[in-house]
Amino acid sequence: MNVQSEHLMILAAVLFAIGVLGFLIRRNVIVVLMCIELMLNAANLTFLAASRQHSGPEGTNLVGPVFAIFVIAIAAAEAAVGLALIIALFRLRQTTEADSVQEMEG
Amino acid sequence: MAEVSFYALAALAVLFAMGVVLARSPMMSVLNLLGTFFCLATIYLLAGFQFIAAAQILVYGGAIMVLFLFVIMLLNLAELGVKAESGSGLFKGTGAKLGAAVAVATALALLITATADSLGRTAVRQRPEGIDDLEGIAAELFGRYGLPFEAISVLLLATMVAVVMLAKRQRRAGDSPAPTPSAPAKEQGR
Repeated sequence: MNVQSEHLMILAAVLFAIGVLGFLIRRNVIVVLMCIELMLNAANLTFLAASRQHSGPEGTNLVGPVFAIFVIAIAAAEAAVGLALIIALFRLRQTTEADSVQEMEG
Repeated sequence: MAEVSFYALAALAVLFAMGVVLARSPMMSVLNLLGTFFCLATIYLLAGFQFIAAAQILVYGGAIMVLFLFVIMLLNLAELGVKAESGSGLFKGTGAKLGAAVAVATALALLITATADSLGRTAVRQRPEGIDDLEGIAAELFGRYGLPFEAISVLLLATMVAVVMLAKRQRRAGDSPAPTPSAPAKEQGR
């Protein structure tokens, strides 16, 4: 594939922006969690694009893939904890709307 | 050929990501997110990161998606979300059709890319093993990045314990004031 690595990074930036948008405008906590996953995916794509840019014919840069593996593992852990929190919230309130949880506001 | 499929997949990934944000019910959001993950996995494959593509499909497309779907179905959020935000007929017909379309499109994209990639590799490029050689990644993981790797394993263990605690605590707290009729019998049975 002869696509420039910058184009991969632009795609990652667009996906990250969409994730931030959804994180900000959606009220359902499950969708907010999905937007976080989207942002983590964009970060992964950036890692891989940077690794692709920095690997030449003499050798390949493996830092990007290694950190992508780390990000994937952390994303899995984050999704598990987030969904457990959502289940706990649903048991408490019978809702997943973020606006209905306002105790910390004081 | 690979370039064309990259730009098509990039556009598709952005469309699916917009779908995640704009979909009315959480179920549609999850299906769109699955589409995004598959598009990204195919892009990784095109860019030469075969192992990361496999991990993406296994971990994101397999494990995390199953978690999301399981929670949404457990909490019955598909109906709740549709009822709260729009008409009730949305999910039944269109959702099933769009889900099928997502599945078909991703399978098609994977097939096309695999074909294009193998054609390009045999005909034009002479790449030794692809960018993503597993031996190198393993050497990095267990050599220079051994400590972060072990930290990740500890993190996963802590996550497992935390999730069990989070899922259990509410049930015990809710038991004492208002026990459900079936819960005490179950507890005695254990």
